[in-house]
Amino acid sequence: MARTLAMFTDTTLCIGCRACQVACKSWNELGAEPPEWTGGYQNHAHFTDQTFRLVRFIEEPRPNGDMAWLLMSDVCKHCAQAGCLDACPTGAIYRTEFGTVNINQDVCNGCRYCVSSCPFGVVSFNEDTGTAKKCTFCNDRIHNGLGPACAKACPTESIQFGFRDELVAKAQKRVETLKGMGFKDAQLYGADSNGFLGGLNAFFLLLSKPSTYNLPENPKLPQRNVFVDSLLSVGSALIVGVGALLAFRDRGRNDGGPDA
Amino acid sequence: MLKNPGWEMLIVCYFFFGGIAGGAFFAAAIADNFGSARDGKVARVGYLLSLPLVALCGVLLIADLGVPLRFLNMMRTFKFSDPMSIGAWMLGVFGAFSFACSALSFTASESMIALRRKLGFVGMFFGFFLASYTGVLLSATALPLWSDARLMGALFLASGASTGIAAISLILFLIGASTGESWRKVTRADRFSIIFELVVLAALVVLLGSAARPLTMGHYAPLFWGGLVVAGLLVPLVIDFAGHRMRALTAVASVLVLAGGFILRYVMLMSAHS
Repeated sequence: MARTLAMFTDTTLCIGCRACQVACKSWNELGAEPPEWTGGYQNHAHFTDQTFRLVRFIEEPRPNGDMAWLLMSDVCKHCAQAGCLDACPTGAIYRTEFGTVNINQDVCNGCRYCVSSCPFGVVSFNEDTGTAKKCTFCNDRIHNGLGPACAKACPTESIQFGFRDELVAKAQKRVETLKGMGFKDAQLYGADSNGFLGGLNAFFLLLSKPSTYNLPENPKLPQRNVFVDSLLSVGSALIVGVGALLAFRDRGRNDGGPDA
Repeated sequence: MLKNPGWEMLIVCYFFFGGIAGGAFFAAAIADNFGSARDGKVARVGYLLSLPLVALCGVLLIADLGVPLRFLNMMRTFKFSDPMSIGAWMLGVFGAFSFACSALSFTASESMIALRRKLGFVGMFFGFFLASYTGVLLSATALPLWSDARLMGALFLASGASTGIAAISLILFLIGASTGESWRKVTRADRFSIIFELVVLAALVVLLGSAARPLTMGHYAPLFWGGLVVAGLLVPLVIDFAGHRMRALTAVASVLVLAGGFILRYVMLMSAHS
């Protein structure tokens, strides 16, 4: 496997211009969608089969009563332990040599299991193609020495593309700087490869706790439940089986009543 | 913001019929292997019921795919920890057992019946699998309602057993075979599985805690409480304990159990949309 690639989104540098969202749509030929009223400047509310990059506009109340913008360009996290990939029954979802997670559109049969297995609600179903869609990490571009379209278009370097180890080191330094400037809640989300989901290959620098950004505090791999749930199913199969066995057991006495 | 997969009526039906197929086959295999010679009728009804249902299951599953012709793509992988992958394979394996036992239900040859018993006994485990894996599949998602209790497989298995046996009971009534010890055995087995299903359902709701709210307090709550808990489980139990001498009433109870099993799958899948 080649050296792992990553995208580091530093939300402190985001100005909400949505160049990333537009670049993503342009490069990946994603259509326009009817706008949704979200109560703020954000459009759309969630990832869709036509929206792989999404700038979140979050208004946070300040102690003095003012509102502060928290801007965050959100994207598929390309988890090191990916729920969608583990859920896919066809092998359409695969990990590239760069560590990114991609959906082979020629193999996906549209069962939609991945949609409900993503801890971040990223994967979406496209009714027209009948397949699941999500950010490809611009698979075509990174295989030709280019960065993802969103990172390329970002005018403030809020989205940075590079080797994961280098980006993590850079991000950690940035957190220290921000803390020195008084942003005491500055933190990385998904940078730790020993943390949740084995680390995210698209990780973030946040200025507040993850839930402020509608991110789960501790996302878990859905497949963790398979073993326990299966074991409990086997247990209940035994109970039901014994129950039926007792009901049907031939007690060695004559069957009462005439059988029709 | 988590996403639900948009599984609707086709998958509700698949879960429902898969449960009945697995449950009916399991009851048939138990009756075949451990019952008396007269229970052979129960066994034949169970086997023959499971076959068309498992075939229907395959059709429903394929029809729900975004690209149905790519169903075969599921056969190019085998992922041991992926309920969807294993489930697709096991549906085929169970179908083979169901076919063999159904075919062997038309013979009077002792050696063939002995073979049917053996196949039924082994196939029973795949029947259990078919009835429960759909629940495990739901629990291996990111949606709290489906995943937090880790009892979804157990619940679907219990429901598969109760609906499978209720279906056998109903068919025996309809073909005028609802008499004698075999019929009482079927009723007894169904009573046990209904009680067990109630216990598992209660445990699931308690373990889910606040995650159970879409089910217990949401849009589908009246259907959950009225349709599943009261009409689908409690009323059949009361009928069973109070008036099991009246065969028509027992048939009503079977219909209610079947409706309850359908409602269980329906509310579980649909309330995740809210």
